[in-house]
Amino acid sequence: MKYALLVALREYAENAKTKGFWIGLFIFPVIIYMSFEIQTLLNKATPTRYVAINDQSGNYGDAIDKELEWLHKRDIFRAFGDYAKKYANKTEGEGKKKINFEKIPAIDPEAMMNQFTDSNREVVQQFFDSGGVEASLEMMKPMLVADRPDFEEPKHRYHLVPMPQVGDASDMKQTAQDMKPFLKGDEMITVDGKEKELFAFIQIPVDVAEQVVRPNQPKMSIGEERRGVEYWSTNLADTDAKEVVERAINEELRRAEYVDRGVDVSQVQQVEKTYVPFVSLNAKKDVGEEEVSMADQIRQWAPVGFVYLLWIGIFTISQMLLNNTIEEKSNRIIEVLLSSVTARELMMGKLIGIACVGLTMLGTWVGTLIIVVMAKAGPEAELANAMLEVLTTSGLLPAFAIYFFFGYLMYAGMFLAIGSVCNTLKEAQNLMGPVMLIMIVPVFTMMFIPKDPNGTLATVLSWVPIYTPFIMMNRAAADPPLFDVVGTGVLMVAFTLLVLYLTSKVFRIGILRTGQPPKIKELFRWMRSR
Amino acid sequence: MTSVLELRQVKKMYGEFTAVKELDLSIPEGAIYGFLGPNGAGKTTAIRMILEIIQPTSGTISVFGHSSALEVRDRIGYLPEEKGLYKKMKAWSIIAYFATLKGLSRKEAKKRAYELLEKYGLKDFSDKKTEALSKGMGQKVQVLAAIAHDPDLVILDEPFSGLDPVNQQVMEEVIRDMAARGKTILFSTHVMQHAERICNSILLIARGEKIFDGSISEAKRTIPRRVRLETDSDIGPLRSLPEVVAVTAVDLEGVPLGAEQIGGPHWDLQIADNADPDVILQSCFDNGIRLRRFDHSDPSLHEVFVNLVGESAREASYR
Repeated sequence: MKYALLVALREYAENAKTKGFWIGLFIFPVIIYMSFEIQTLLNKATPTRYVAINDQSGNYGDAIDKELEWLHKRDIFRAFGDYAKKYANKTEGEGKKKINFEKIPAIDPEAMMNQFTDSNREVVQQFFDSGGVEASLEMMKPMLVADRPDFEEPKHRYHLVPMPQVGDASDMKQTAQDMKPFLKGDEMITVDGKEKELFAFIQIPVDVAEQVVRPNQPKMSIGEERRGVEYWSTNLADTDAKEVVERAINEELRRAEYVDRGVDVSQVQQVEKTYVPFVSLNAKKDVGEEEVSMADQIRQWAPVGFVYLLWIGIFTISQMLLNNTIEEKSNRIIEVLLSSVTARELMMGKLIGIACVGLTMLGTWVGTLIIVVMAKAGPEAELANAMLEVLTTSGLLPAFAIYFFFGYLMYAGMFLAIGSVCNTLKEAQNLMGPVMLIMIVPVFTMMFIPKDPNGTLATVLSWVPIYTPFIMMNRAAADPPLFDVVGTGVLMVAFTLLVLYLTSKVFRIGILRTGQPPKIKELFRWMRSR
Repeated sequence: MTSVLELRQVKKMYGEFTAVKELDLSIPEGAIYGFLGPNGAGKTTAIRMILEIIQPTSGTISVFGHSSALEVRDRIGYLPEEKGLYKKMKAWSIIAYFATLKGLSRKEAKKRAYELLEKYGLKDFSDKKTEALSKGMGQKVQVLAAIAHDPDLVILDEPFSGLDPVNQQVMEEVIRDMAARGKTILFSTHVMQHAERICNSILLIARGEKIFDGSISEAKRTIPRRVRLETDSDIGPLRSLPEVVAVTAVDLEGVPLGAEQIGGPHWDLQIADNADPDVILQSCFDNGIRLRRFDHSDPSLHEVFVNLVGESAREASYR
């Protein structure tokens, strides 16, 4: 055992020094962080878009203007919310979680979650009606840290600019041609004395009202031209601007339609907000606790995350083991090692050492994930906190630990055997091909199993030892039958031991062998050998 | 003298192929013992069995009186034939690692590694990764790794291969240093000059079979005494001398020529065991044979090897 530990120590120290290890260590937190930040960064990076409108009908210019203005107000409101959370006074009370946003007028976390509902529109409106940023800032002062930077209003996403002078605007065909150089960037428009590029150009024809499509109306006849509103741009991938304008025009159109038909608009708006609440209930739960809560949802889906982590963890580590074994073999260091330690000690040392490398990596990932989530104020953090709480109390973590342990030993054993019979990484990759195909299965089933965790597919797969760790982890939250849990568990442990036993046989002989990888028949002979 | 290593009827089969045939061997303490043989003779297999890296098919091996080399692994040092190092490790840390595997504490091992590197001229490379070392330097590092724990028995498989003459000297020095401190050294080689210079005993093996086992002088006595001549004169008068047993035409290397080839100018005269070579020299003068060379020194180990192993070496090397 002493020798195995010495080997393990070296494996750990050497692997922890490699570039790959450090890149792996950092890349994951960076990705996590980016996934939180990317939206903000993208928003910041996107320049203000300049939009010109040629509204020949004269009915929609105002509506578009208003919509864009509301969009900007909503941005300010959201930015202010983020700002308030970021610079909340953390020493006061029990930390930032304690800050009671309900006390702050018009900032309701619920509403922030539903950014696109109509009720949000009212909240935003209320915020600005009660004095906007300045008044709220004044009110919140005691709850914010003193040395915070001033609140910076986000820049406009869209900016309406007047049409440049291009001749007769009522001739839409000609105007479109005249506008082309502006859209292509050959000519610039002037905004506040600065030259800017025009992003989009919208043309609303005089007779737009006649081109409106209504249900129960005959479709237009062939040859009739009914193009409606024209949206011109060179960037057709970014459809945000188009959608905003489209929504503004159609809403205005519908409002006018209601008025035309003598329907009270405010009544319609009231009706549109009417709904009946829906509640999901779980028949398995005790009386009074049947209601499916957010926590239940987390519990149901969290295993998917664990399965993914399990999969990534096991295969990254096993891959390391494989590379490392082949290095020793191709370098012929193995012989010196074997004059000092037995093949079994060497194998054990490698298993332990590399497992520690992998655990360090996994631990760092989970750790940074938690830190990033905690550090990042906002509704995501509250959600993450709730998740952490649910997970630590759900028994999923011990399950994860157990399945990781056996899953790792099982796959590491197989990879070690493959590594020991191959002389080069290329040979190993040939052997790895089929293994990879088999291994990918849990990733495919990962998302389906929570929907029917005790169904036939899940049950059958969990009895296949190489899939047991993944599938049972996947099912862990759904209270699988005790028979399945214990049965597959015993089978998994037995299979793991068998794999390790056979691996030690193959390893002992394979590791010293040079030349061609052995034939299957030979492998079986090795497994039977003394 | 007690024997450090005892092999009794050791045999190794790989499927149908016999790598080592019933080998008996006893290596006394303090010996510098050479394993000589052509390529594929079974030297490496024998060494691996001694180290218990592979199991013999039959027979017993005892090292320091133990039936398993692993029981006394701390007292054995080993340099395998194919040399390799962890590329990303520093020279000192490889040496120290192998020393800790042999029971040294980490602190001791580190100290020892630096000492050895300095002693054998690699001081400046102590903190370099081994991938930055030349092949010869890497090999030196590996030798040092094999002896860092000051083993009582050192087994070196082809320690001279791949080294330049200067470093071959260093290698010899390492071996002599160890021997001077009473350690037992066993090394394999197919370069006879090294064995001749360093060993006191040798084992000659070919195609898995022991051909000779004993001291160098004993080995040399296996070849009949002979005198080598180089002359353009007719050597006919020498054939009738009672001291001359046989006359063979040879080439420059001493390899006998075929019967169809015309002899000269090199000749090999086999002489009687108690004959005095001076008599032959005198006879040359008397008969007016003009000599360019008259050589009656002991045969080299190379000749012994060629003589004993002969054709089988050639065949084996083609296998």
